[in-house]
Amino acid sequence: MTPVRPQQEQVAGLLNEAKSRRRFLRGLGACVALPALESLLTQRVEAASAMMARAPGVTANGAAKRVAFVYFPNGANQKAWWPTEPGRDFALSATMQPLSPVKDQILVLGGLDHQNATGGKDGPGDHARASSTFLTGVRVKKTSGADIRAGISIDQVAARHIGHLSRFPSMELTCDGVRKSGSCDSGYSCAYDYNMSWRTPNMPMAPEPNPRLVFERLFGGGDYGDRRKNFAERQSTQKSILDFVLEDARQLQTGLAEKDRGKLDEYLSSIREIETRLQRAEASGETPDPNVDTPKGIPASHREHVRLMYDMMALAFQTDSTRIATLILAHDGSNRAFPEIGIPEGHHSISHHQGKKDNLEKIAKIDLFYMEEFARFLGQLATAKDADGSSVLDNSMIVYGCGNGDGNRHNHDNLPVILAGRAGGSLQSNAYLKMRGKPMSNLFLSMLDHLGVQGETRFGDSTGRLEGI
Amino acid sequence: MHSLAPLNLRLCMSFALMALAIGMSPLARAADDGKTRYTEEIEPLVMEYCLGCHGLGTKKGGVSLDEFPTPEAALNDRVLWHSVLKNVRAGLMPPAGKPRPTAEEIARLEEWVKRDVFLTNEQDPDPGRVTLRRLNRVEYRNTIRDLMGIDFRTDEEFPADDAGYGFDNIGDVLTVSPLLLEKYMQAAETIVTRAVPTAAKTMPVEVLTGSEFRAEKGSGSGARMSYYEQDEVAKTIKVEHDGTYRLVLELEIDGVFDPDPGRCRIAFSADGRELLSKDFAWADEKRETFAFEQAWKAGEHRLTIALTPLEPAEKLIKKLDMKVNSVKVEGPLEPEHWSRPKNFDRFFSDRSPSTPEQRREYSRDVLSRFAGHAFRRPVDDRTLDRLVAIAESSYADTSRTTEAGIAQAMTAVLASPRFLFRIEETEPPKPGEVHPHLDEYALASRLSYFLWSTMPDEELEKLASTGKLRKELHNQVKRMLADPRSQALVQNFTGQWLQIRDVEHFPIQPRPILRRDGLPAIPDSLIGSLRRLMKQETEMYFSYVIREDRSILDLLDSDYTFANEQLARHYGIPGVTGREMKRVELPEGSPRGGLLAQAGVLMITSNPTRTSPVKRGQFILENILGTPTPPPPPDIPALEEARQGISGREPTVREVMALHRSNAICSSCHSRMDPLGLSLENFNALGMWRETESKQPIDASGTLLSGKSFKDIRDLKAILKTDHRADFYRCLTEKLMTYALGRGIEYYDVATIDRIVNDLERHEGRFSTLLLGIIDSSPFQKRRQVGFTASSPSQPSQNGAKP
Repeated sequence: MTPVRPQQEQVAGLLNEAKSRRRFLRGLGACVALPALESLLTQRVEAASAMMARAPGVTANGAAKRVAFVYFPNGANQKAWWPTEPGRDFALSATMQPLSPVKDQILVLGGLDHQNATGGKDGPGDHARASSTFLTGVRVKKTSGADIRAGISIDQVAARHIGHLSRFPSMELTCDGVRKSGSCDSGYSCAYDYNMSWRTPNMPMAPEPNPRLVFERLFGGGDYGDRRKNFAERQSTQKSILDFVLEDARQLQTGLAEKDRGKLDEYLSSIREIETRLQRAEASGETPDPNVDTPKGIPASHREHVRLMYDMMALAFQTDSTRIATLILAHDGSNRAFPEIGIPEGHHSISHHQGKKDNLEKIAKIDLFYMEEFARFLGQLATAKDADGSSVLDNSMIVYGCGNGDGNRHNHDNLPVILAGRAGGSLQSNAYLKMRGKPMSNLFLSMLDHLGVQGETRFGDSTGRLEGI
Repeated sequence: MHSLAPLNLRLCMSFALMALAIGMSPLARAADDGKTRYTEEIEPLVMEYCLGCHGLGTKKGGVSLDEFPTPEAALNDRVLWHSVLKNVRAGLMPPAGKPRPTAEEIARLEEWVKRDVFLTNEQDPDPGRVTLRRLNRVEYRNTIRDLMGIDFRTDEEFPADDAGYGFDNIGDVLTVSPLLLEKYMQAAETIVTRAVPTAAKTMPVEVLTGSEFRAEKGSGSGARMSYYEQDEVAKTIKVEHDGTYRLVLELEIDGVFDPDPGRCRIAFSADGRELLSKDFAWADEKRETFAFEQAWKAGEHRLTIALTPLEPAEKLIKKLDMKVNSVKVEGPLEPEHWSRPKNFDRFFSDRSPSTPEQRREYSRDVLSRFAGHAFRRPVDDRTLDRLVAIAESSYADTSRTTEAGIAQAMTAVLASPRFLFRIEETEPPKPGEVHPHLDEYALASRLSYFLWSTMPDEELEKLASTGKLRKELHNQVKRMLADPRSQALVQNFTGQWLQIRDVEHFPIQPRPILRRDGLPAIPDSLIGSLRRLMKQETEMYFSYVIREDRSILDLLDSDYTFANEQLARHYGIPGVTGREMKRVELPEGSPRGGLLAQAGVLMITSNPTRTSPVKRGQFILENILGTPTPPPPPDIPALEEARQGISGREPTVREVMALHRSNAICSSCHSRMDPLGLSLENFNALGMWRETESKQPIDASGTLLSGKSFKDIRDLKAILKTDHRADFYRCLTEKLMTYALGRGIEYYDVATIDRIVNDLERHEGRFSTLLLGIIDSSPFQKRRQVGFTASSPSQPSQNGAKP
């Protein structure tokens, strides 16, 4: 490993990496302090605070609030995950050690459940349910066929309220570059495994695995300096064909049977959304063009991939391109091997640890691997200065968790969940709170409160707000 | 819900008979016949074999067969009876140890379910309805290849498609999210920009890469030159015309992250005349371009790039190189020598229009042809008008050519739902026919997407436009199978049916596997090629069965397989040499032959470091025997609870699984899966043969629920090929039909599938019997009449049973 200069470590992390990414990150460091970007944000802040003092999605100072959900697979090593004593100023657990630089931004939440992910009458399929219930709070329909049905996920609920405030209503990312063929978990459609965000109960928001495509979607293709032009050109072409395809779809729709009309409805509503987005982009002025290289694609190393996806989230938040993001580090049930940290076995296989010490140690190692990268991401947000003078992390709420508790038991209570960031100051962090059997959905409702969203009284299997946060 | 005992039913029947006497429609009479047959032929069977667990208040698996609220309800619960049929046929019900119905009794039940419950009309069966399908990633890519002449990497650009029933071409689950639509619009633009020339004549451009510039001596090239070594590389090119040429040199400095003191001078010359001489210093990655114009005569010209170090070699820290990315030779710049660009004739014609009327006419012509191909059916006037309008408003900007305007309209075509979705229309209904045939264009698309995963070619399109496709169908299928594009069927169907697609990325960990079996390590460098060979073996094998029209039973067992030297060595088959994959005759008594003995299948049904008899058993049940998934138990106990009973030592895989089965909750599934999976234990997770595991001899013997015993996989294959032949025929028919139709199999397909299975029995399982059986079937040829009501299969059965 190459020796690291401390100030670079903050933004660049480890240096023994592919060059493209290293250069990318170096640029990202520059981007954090980019004056043009700050002024861009400041303008928006001023506009926002002038217009609405206590509007949804903004802090008291008028800065944007961001919310993200990060999923790690297959449960956690329970002993290594949980801190010993609850309360304020708690001591970090073994797995959470990497969080120590940002500990004052951390809330560890114990006792949150997803009852709808339990077997119940549906039997096996805990992984599919863990993934698909995680942000929806509903019991998804057990089917490997056509009639998939989950629920609208919390990120999409948030997007309905505050999505219009940024250039992209939401962003869905994944580190699962390759999907398994055939059916997935015990009779559940693969759609439940690989998607976490659901726009409607039967339309998952397919997440993007390729960092290059995420970047180009946000800022345009080509090199730094050309992107703004390329982005504008793409928009103008899109506008010219929108009218045609909209009319085309309408003309087709009249002759179709009900189910087919439904398919075309999806098409039409997607068209309308692009239309709205184009209008919004025009209204919001110049597209940001961060002075960094475009990432090259999906890297071979999983750690690299995870980092790049976090980088994309950080960049999207810093440039206020979106305020809502989801990231799947790997779908639940993922059998990825981790040779880079000396674990040749599949993650899923060893998560059925049978209480064996060897397996448990390996799980703790994988948990730590993921935690290191999460901490690195939080570090990035903590050093990124937001328009109101606080850090981007201060103004965010980042949920990090899994829909499975212990991989061996496939339990869905006392889920491992961390809430990072302070939602612009309204969250009292630096604590480990034990909830004793409250639905995750209650947390989501409370998060909507902290976002300043009003009018949502129920979500998933919620029984109310989560007390104490 | 009141319980309807047989006596009540008979009481109802007498009312029904009275009604019959008064006079009823034929359909109602048929229903009454069905009820009669129920009480006389079926109910006694149900009483004898089923009610012990599924009646008189007992509802095992949530299924009861004597609680119908009305007599009609008994016949109307198609989902329930479909489930009964599947379970009885698969031999799952009645369960092992309980009295079993005779073959005649089973046939009676099958007959009654099909005729009286499903109300199958043999002459004109309900073809079902395929939901509007959008192109999946593979189909989109192939369609663009054939339509536009370029390769657009949808596997990188588009998100993965969701799958239903195990396949990724199922209409209902292929959704269009805003993200995807945005990608479609962007792709349309990218593709048109790349594929459609926007001028009738363009300046020729030749691109030379750095590696084409060679050193006089040695193996050096312009692809990479060190800052610290004197170097000269050259390339001679030939131009056809006298004229002005532009040379564009692109250099890239390639250093490492930390600065290096190196400097060098680069000289670029044409025919010995120096055009550039410039000094370069360190950069970790930086590109620079330089352009020069040259008056050249026709003939040969020599381009030279020389590097002179400006610092002594010992100053080098790690690495600092100069790369010649490319030298572009553009010209002649004089337009009289410009030529027709590549791909021009694919879209445009020779005419070059000048007046506005001519331009409009030309645009209309070109777009009509293009949109017709892209939409896979003729484009209507209204749509065409709107496309022409896009072209016109685009080339109204005088800086654009007519072709550029047309290209803009082509972008709209590729974003249109008519391109992205497969719109199917039907023929006008024929007299006496309930369900209309698909029109010939829709049929052409069904065929081409089924066999080729792409749009119809010119021949199919021509036949469809003249209404001759249906008459020519079998010849066309033959032609299409002989075409290399049919490789798509092999790859996409077997890739998903057998999950062979996953072989290349499966997280297998060879080292611990080989160590456990005491086998020598396989070098990492060979694992990649081994994966490809595994996939190729299965694909070639299936392809061989298709092309040679073999029996599909070859897929279960055969005396040949496909291998090259590397794969044969992996398998321990002697006497195969060379890199080329070819048909290999298996030695007497070889365990190989058949899909189940192929390394790819054996690998993807394993865990990364060891075999998984459970996964393998489940794979055979689902993909070879088509055994329905039994109702899942409500609460699965943790594995450690199932393990209690052995202490003090490490139990073997077989022992753990035996314990598992001893638990009643686990045993219902595992007693089916485990013997099948354990029969493959002689194959490790890499598909290599072994006699021992962790130095213990492997016991691959077992007994199926049917009572048949086997010693190892060789025996099991023989049993599958004889006793379970019909199960395999049915399973493969259902899988291939799901893939062909893009929808799941429903009860109204049972008659069609039974017919194909019978035909397979009569024709020794020939592949063509299966394929043509599907293509000629009502579900493939027709579409359900609008307004025709079939009982919805997704409607929950009153018993909550799963189909």
